Amino acid sequence: MTETIIFYMLSAVILLSALGVVLLPGLMHSALCLGLCLAGVAGIFASLGSDFIFAAQILVYVGGIAVLILFVVLLAANASEKMTRQISEAWLPSLLICSAFFWAFLKVTRYFSGLSAQTAPSPSVKAIAALLLGEYAVPFELISIVLLASMTGAVLFGRRKAE
Amino acid sequence: MTLSHYLVLSGLVFTIGLFGVLTRRNIIGILMSIELMLNAANINFVAFNRFLYPGQYIGHTTVIFIITLAAAEVVVGLALVMAIYKNLKSVYVEDYNILKG
Repeated sequence: MTETIIFYMLSAVILLSALGVVLLPGLMHSALCLGLCLAGVAGIFASLGSDFIFAAQILVYVGGIAVLILFVVLLAANASEKMTRQISEAWLPSLLICSAFFWAFLKVTRYFSGLSAQTAPSPSVKAIAALLLGEYAVPFELISIVLLASMTGAVLFGRRKAE
Repeated sequence: MTLSHYLVLSGLVFTIGLFGVLTRRNIIGILMSIELMLNAANINFVAFNRFLYPGQYIGHTTVIFIITLAAAEVVVGLALVMAIYKNLKSVYVEDYNILKG
């Protein structure tokens, strides 16, 4: 019962803040709503019993990506955007595409409806470490190369031009 | 709680993100909507792992890879946005036509 109440409260937070990200005209409000939405998704991970993903979501998404987007909003936004239109004029076809997608998604996932969990969640950090350093060691090293390349690319794009 | 609760939630978040990608004029807003879509996929991975394969953690490992790739994507994307903004002084995607040659 408590689980159900917590799930619906987290869902309300996630959906309302996601709508805020998409629909609010001011970019600053959108970025703050994005942080709230990511924190709500972290709560969903916690309610699913995945402790390490919960911590990683808080650290990387809420602490890293949301703050990074806030910085860029502060650098690139101007005050006139609250007056101008932020949604393109093709919103009606987009709405049709989105509803068609959601209908198809419900049709596909109807096969899994009513499945409930049999076992209680257990701590997952040790098993994830065994997977990352054993079976998935090569992708784990490759992803570090990707991070290094993205950092180098960000520095390359962000530096000033040589005078 | 059943699996379909989580599936409907992630489907709704993905649809909202898709709507944002299709309709926002602001490039930073589009990047934020992409983050929403990636998060919906992460919810799906963790929920399927919890309900269909309890005791295995491959879904969790995939989510860690997705989070890392999302961080790399948003870093490069925002650096590109700042580089374009320095040249064009605009954040609206209909102004981004400098590749027309």
